[in-house]
Amino acid sequence: MVFVWLTAFFLVVALIVLVIYQLMCLADLEFDYINPFDSSSRINKVVIPEFVLQAALSVLFLLSGHWAMFLLSAPMVYYNYTLYQRRQHLVDVTEIFNHLGREKKRRLFKIVGLIVLLFLSLFWSSGEARQQDHFL
Amino acid sequence: MQPPMGNDRPPQGVPGRPVSAFVPGAATAAPPPSSFGAASAPRAPFAPPPQAAASPAAPFAAAPPAAMAGYRGPPPPQRPFGAGPPQQGPFAAAAPPPQGPFTSAPSSQGPFAAAPQPPSQGPFGTAPPPSQGPFGTAPPPSQGPFGTAPPPSQGPFGTAPPPSQGPFAASVPPSQGPFASAPPPFRPPPSLVQSPTASGMAPPSVYVRPPPPVQSQPPPVQGFYGGPPPANQQFPMSRPAFQQPVQTMPPPPMVGFGNQAAYATGGPPTGGTLQSLVEDFQSLSVSSAPGSLDPGVDVKGLPRPLDGDEEPTKVLEAYPLNCHPRYFRLTTHAIPASQSLVSRWHLPLGAVEVPVINFGSAGVIRCRRCRTYINPYATFADAGRKWRCNLCTLLNDVPGEYFCGIDGSGRRYDADQRPELSKGTVEFVAPTEYMVRPPMPPSYFFLIDVSVSAVRSGLLEVVAKTIKSCLDDLPGFPRTQIGFLTFDSTLHFHNFKSSLSQPQMMVVADLDDVFLPLPDDLLVNLVDSRHVVESFLDSLPNMFQDNVNVESALGPALKAAFMVMSQIGGKLLVFQSTLPSLGVGRLRLRGDDVRAYGTDKEHSLRVPEDPFYKQMAAEFTKNQIAVDIFSFSDKYCDIASLGSLAKYTGGQVYHYPSFQAVTHGDKLKHELSRDLTRETAWESVMRIRCGKGVRFTTYHGHFMLRSTDLLALPAVDSDKAFAMQLSLEETLMTTQTVYFQVALLYPFLPIWRIRVHTAAAPVVTDLGEMYRQADTGAIVSLLSRIAVENSLSDKLDSVRQQLQLKLVRSLKEYRNLYVVQHRIGGRLIYPESLRFLPLYILSICKSLALRGGYADVSLDERCAAGFSMMILPAKKLLNFIYPSLYRVDEVLSMEPDRIGGSLKQLPLTMQCLDTGGLYLLDDGFTFLVWLGRMLPPELVNNILGVSLANFPDLSKVQLRECDNEYSRNFMKILGTLRERDPSYHQLCRVVRQGEQPREGFLLLSNLVEDQMAGTSSYMDWILQIHRQTQS
Repeated sequence: MVFVWLTAFFLVVALIVLVIYQLMCLADLEFDYINPFDSSSRINKVVIPEFVLQAALSVLFLLSGHWAMFLLSAPMVYYNYTLYQRRQHLVDVTEIFNHLGREKKRRLFKIVGLIVLLFLSLFWSSGEARQQDHFL
Repeated sequence: MQPPMGNDRPPQGVPGRPVSAFVPGAATAAPPPSSFGAASAPRAPFAPPPQAAASPAAPFAAAPPAAMAGYRGPPPPQRPFGAGPPQQGPFAAAAPPPQGPFTSAPSSQGPFAAAPQPPSQGPFGTAPPPSQGPFGTAPPPSQGPFGTAPPPSQGPFGTAPPPSQGPFAASVPPSQGPFASAPPPFRPPPSLVQSPTASGMAPPSVYVRPPPPVQSQPPPVQGFYGGPPPANQQFPMSRPAFQQPVQTMPPPPMVGFGNQAAYATGGPPTGGTLQSLVEDFQSLSVSSAPGSLDPGVDVKGLPRPLDGDEEPTKVLEAYPLNCHPRYFRLTTHAIPASQSLVSRWHLPLGAVEVPVINFGSAGVIRCRRCRTYINPYATFADAGRKWRCNLCTLLNDVPGEYFCGIDGSGRRYDADQRPELSKGTVEFVAPTEYMVRPPMPPSYFFLIDVSVSAVRSGLLEVVAKTIKSCLDDLPGFPRTQIGFLTFDSTLHFHNFKSSLSQPQMMVVADLDDVFLPLPDDLLVNLVDSRHVVESFLDSLPNMFQDNVNVESALGPALKAAFMVMSQIGGKLLVFQSTLPSLGVGRLRLRGDDVRAYGTDKEHSLRVPEDPFYKQMAAEFTKNQIAVDIFSFSDKYCDIASLGSLAKYTGGQVYHYPSFQAVTHGDKLKHELSRDLTRETAWESVMRIRCGKGVRFTTYHGHFMLRSTDLLALPAVDSDKAFAMQLSLEETLMTTQTVYFQVALLYPFLPIWRIRVHTAAAPVVTDLGEMYRQADTGAIVSLLSRIAVENSLSDKLDSVRQQLQLKLVRSLKEYRNLYVVQHRIGGRLIYPESLRFLPLYILSICKSLALRGGYADVSLDERCAAGFSMMILPAKKLLNFIYPSLYRVDEVLSMEPDRIGGSLKQLPLTMQCLDTGGLYLLDDGFTFLVWLGRMLPPELVNNILGVSLANFPDLSKVQLRECDNEYSRNFMKILGTLRERDPSYHQLCRVVRQGEQPREGFLLLSNLVEDQMAGTSSYMDWILQIHRQTQS
């Protein structure tokens, strides 16, 4: 069990890092530290890994039987999936400035969700650890 | 007071009505006594109240006796219009007072005319007839109520109207009459109005502009009838209340109003006669009343932009140091001072800019913080040792070598010698630190589809010949580079090494992994390899003569071209005649799916299907390659996808549906040579800076944004314009003036140059001033771009609704500014500066890019028109959406020299077409020659060179100069019109009256003022807008 929580914890941290990286690229673009070509290629490079990690996290919760956590993370996976379906998951370099606000907002929401997950998984794992202590 | 007003207006149809109306009115009144009878009866009741009323009543009376009953109700409404009443104001004061209608009347009338009074009195008594008389004529009466209305209608277009009177004013005279009879009480209010108008009028008169009142004469009538129109009803209600207050108020209000009026009309000083009045649409509501006549709007009175675009040159008078509006136009030459003001300005706030070339000067002085270039609005301080940046207000040092003393007013002694300090448009030579790299030689790379359809249509021959004829004129001699790549299902590279006598062709069939068979010599220096290039062009048409390949591997060809050009940049011209079918970037026949229209998926037809094209476009811009698309397919070839290549690279889309060398050859030849030889700025970047508190947010046009405010333009020329929208960053602007500076950095071989346009606009706190300074051309240009962009993510229907909503909101806002103080309840009012806006918006909705649905325009044409609208400069755009229509047969027999001046532009409506006439419609891209049914056969014969009796296929008829005077003159007219704007060549098409379906989609769909399937006519549109602004 501890193993599951540890994995989940690291997955969430990795996701947060990826999303923050994308947000930084967008912010750099906005302040003209980077050109749109580089910015979008950097962002697009990590989009798919992010989606995969997110899906893996959900599957982990599902298989380990943490229904509540699964229900919390599933909407994000579904959202990613619809984006992918509509082919909107990648940043469009030609329209990036027009979509800047939207892209940033999307990622900010994601990060809020991930932070909630992070804290929940921390509490649960510590709670579980305490339980185990109790058994001992 | 009133009299003046009356004078201003020139009565159009109705003699005497206008100012003169009053006086004359009396006179005129007499004539139509017939109505009196009826009128008189009703009046009697009213009569007591105001004699004047009687007169008004008369007008109504004329309409229908029945109405009479209604009168009272109606009158009230009129009062609102009161604008008229105001005039009466004088009366009001006098009249209102119950003094006896008469007594008051006289006084009031006095002003008007002595004559009137008598009549008025009559009304009461028997007199009525006279009063009515004037009104008697139905039309006049109607006007009467509105007073202004009638005249306006005439006037509207005309100049007459005394627009000066301002909407309000106009109404005055009439109003008096009406009011008078109806409710004396009201008059007072009107009086108020009048005074304003009166005062205001004067200024207006100065202005020549006719008010654009759209009046509907009939409406008034209706008003009378019942209280049908809601507006009226309301008024009645209010009137009572108003009356009393009003009466008392009269004097004071007058004063207050005076100012306002001055403002309104006074706009004149600043803006001219602004307002305008417009119409009473009461008629609208009326229409529902049984027995009422047709809608009262006088169609002829609606404003029409028959003189084309008006450049806001008066801005130059106020700001002589600004660059010419040809280069830079603001949608309103007044920057709102606060956010709240912005939120009430429902039209886009922005600018349209055409970078063009001018003159140069040396030395670049820039602000150290915001990098603004020194300009005429910079101020010098500290005895000339410092200069203050006018955009960010930072104080900068003046370099020693640039120093010059300043005179008492802070002006440098050498300001007149230094163009950068005295002109709005200058060019700087860029110092070396500006160069990313030395300017590259201009290079042209041609990507030519040689599949069977290109061969059959004769395309190759036209292209080869045209390119050959342009070789001498390509810019950049002697450094110009050129290269060709042809493709069908394989890629054919051509080696133009200068040591060869004949070009070598190398075929690459591997489409999945494109490679260049040669490291260089694919793009060669034109001077060195001229003979090889020429022999290639000579043999090109024959080389593929027997090609039966139907495939087209555009995607791989684009990749190959990218590899060839990536080091140098330049211009890539793609000649595509079928749907790309092989390799990466192949497109499918998604076609125009009728089922998609009206659903959420509709817009997906208009966006690139394959992300490949957007990615390629991004790569192209990154490497300074501009792509121009020439598309020739007779079938669907997905302009939406191909066009995105041009959209993000600063290119252009040319679409020649069903290309045939015989018919379209000239057009292609002209446009291709224009594209190749016009002055072009390569690998340039453009940036707009603006003063504190304002920021450019969205940009529209063909370019790629390299950072938030830097437009990358691999190639730019004077045929392209860019538009952008502004937003305020601060809630309250503290500065008096906002400055804008557009800088275009481009290579002027062998150095870099920076062209700088500077403009200033005042910050205002008054919404009315914003309306007064509005520039219709710029607004329409920006709105149409926004609409086209919206059509890429929304249904056509909702795009049109959004446009309409914007129009309605802005007019409503404007109405709220003035409606209360002037009590012009039932009228549609709009600012003088925007008088054409409703028509232009209607035209945008009916333009090729946005009109109708599935069946109205083919998808490719729609997309191509959309791409064109995104780059057209304001003037061309206006002509494109509201084409010019001329009657030609009348001028054909004139002296050739006089023809140009005698062509008169006609309103775009079927009613202007006479079956015995020959008409020419010019939208900037096409000439449409319309032959009336009754046109003399000889004339047709002379011009077309064929007889209509043989029923020739007019779609194939070629207009050539024949050996007779008519034909020569006709061709001369076409030539003159084409010369006006060399950026496109109008393809000439001939259509006969009644020849369906060609007449339908060629001509009828361009008559934007007529009703077409599912769209409203100009008049309905105005009524609709009016109704919505009322709610």
